[in-house]
Amino acid sequence: MRRRIRDVDAPPRWAHWVLGPLAVLWMIPVVMVIGISLLPTSNPSTTGLGLVPEEPTLRNYVTIFETNPIARHLVNSLLVSVPSIVLVLLLGSMTAFALARLRVPFKGVVFVGLILALVLPMAGVVTAMFKILQRLGLYDNLFGLVLAYTALGLPFAVIMIRTTYLAIPDETYEAALVDGSSTWTIFWRIYFPLGKAAAAVVVVWQLMMSWNDFLLPLVAIGDNDLKPLTLVPLAYRGIYLSQPGALFAVLVLISVPIVVVYLSVQRYLVNGLAGSVK
Amino acid sequence: MTAYPPPAPATRNTRVAGTGRRGPARRLTRERLVALGFIAPAVVLFAVFVVYPIVFNVQSSLLDWDGVSAGTPVGLDNYRDLFSDPTFHTTLRNSAFWIVLTIVPQAALGFALAWLLNTRLRGRTVYRTLFFLPAVLSPVVVGIVWQRLLDPFNGVLAQLGRATGIDLLTRSYLSDPSTAIFAVIVVNVWMWTGFSMLFYLAGLQLVDHSVVEAARIDGATGWQLLRRIVLPLLKPTHLALLLLGIIGSLKTFELVWVLTEGGPNHASELMPTYLFKQAFQLQSFGYGATIAVVLLVVAVGSSLAMLRTFGSGFITGDRS
Repeated sequence: MRRRIRDVDAPPRWAHWVLGPLAVLWMIPVVMVIGISLLPTSNPSTTGLGLVPEEPTLRNYVTIFETNPIARHLVNSLLVSVPSIVLVLLLGSMTAFALARLRVPFKGVVFVGLILALVLPMAGVVTAMFKILQRLGLYDNLFGLVLAYTALGLPFAVIMIRTTYLAIPDETYEAALVDGSSTWTIFWRIYFPLGKAAAAVVVVWQLMMSWNDFLLPLVAIGDNDLKPLTLVPLAYRGIYLSQPGALFAVLVLISVPIVVVYLSVQRYLVNGLAGSVK
Repeated sequence: MTAYPPPAPATRNTRVAGTGRRGPARRLTRERLVALGFIAPAVVLFAVFVVYPIVFNVQSSLLDWDGVSAGTPVGLDNYRDLFSDPTFHTTLRNSAFWIVLTIVPQAALGFALAWLLNTRLRGRTVYRTLFFLPAVLSPVVVGIVWQRLLDPFNGVLAQLGRATGIDLLTRSYLSDPSTAIFAVIVVNVWMWTGFSMLFYLAGLQLVDHSVVEAARIDGATGWQLLRRIVLPLLKPTHLALLLLGIIGSLKTFELVWVLTEGGPNHASELMPTYLFKQAFQLQSFGYGATIAVVLLVVAVGSSLAMLRTFGSGFITGDRS
């Protein structure tokens, strides 16, 4: 690993004086979402510029599970995100391996297609996707969302993982081939495990797309019981209008899983993005 | 989204040649079949859920269609209507604002943060985590939180305004047609600056230290080092962020939808929100598809233009 440009340098002495206040400013909305989630319906008064409830309570976190089927929406979100992450990692790694090491017919076409797909705005295909899911009998079906997110996430996964695979010395592949290993074994036993750093980026990216998305379920899921967590604030807008505390508790619930995953893989992110193999 | 060239030089070309020399033709065919097996599932999914929707959009854009009954073919009428549609012009203007006012601040602030946090600063991991945090949140969450933050009664900004007597802060930025799109842009900058920072951090890792050392020995000052060496070497990162910013102006739906629903009176409309309204609220499925086609053409067109001008290296991480 090359040394980073400024690793050897001490930071400027004023660094904390700039970064500290900026970080505090940056965190105001985050502090607020937690603060308001503790706001009781009976006394919606706040202090501290509207960030801190006068009488904080954890009651809202109980309320949201009692009055709405929040647990079900949470499960729906998991049933969409987890399978799409698994699929995108597996299929993405396979495709990346083929593009990096095998003779793929029309490799050039596949590659240009991938790059263009990478920048394809979801909004541009969502209307048509709604019709296609209907025709496939996948409207109001969580598996339809899984397949759609997998397809939309593949280009990024392939390009990301391929870069990592290209960095694995050819001799590894050659030697395994000479030893009589099948292509699948080489992929599964050597390449797939070595793509860990890129995989971390792909997992976060795919989770961000599938867990956070709101547009696709908005058009592809009509049944309230099947809606993922992100649609809850809108689906029950009437209920939450008078209960900002409960609404913000739902927002915290939407955010916690993705923040936890981000925190647990963040040490891989910069290196994964830089395409280096650890 | 970009990946960067790995530190080790890629040598796949030599390998392909090596395999060709060693294996007879029969094995080549087998290898091709195996390769097809590896990419087939991805290709099928991709064809059904990405390629076919594009074809479908093009077909629908030639119809006067409510999305339910059989549509009536109308040729290019939808396109003619669209290009003289004042709301469409608003979306174009807003996209232009969006491109300039998100890309520049996000890149400048993102780079400054990356530059400071690429040192041995105590607590740098905490700073990185905090600045990137907004990017992992759902736009729905960000939208609702900022709606309250900018609320002229309960919002932090308004309360600060009342406490200090600065009336400017108590204005209702999201419901004023002249400020709505800029308020949304500010929220977007908050959300994605950490992402630019992460990109620059990754880019800085790949800048060769010896080049920087050499410049130092030659007596370059910090500013010269930055302007003449580091920033030019980060060109792939700048380009990737530029492309992502352009695409962002074409794909942002959730943030706008939650904050303003494109309003008031279409003032903060972007193409995605407008096409959603047409297709799903006004039952003009054909017209919505037309907007989608234009959106895709602009997205693909600008990407192709950048690929042609700069090569694909800044996206794929390959050295040209």
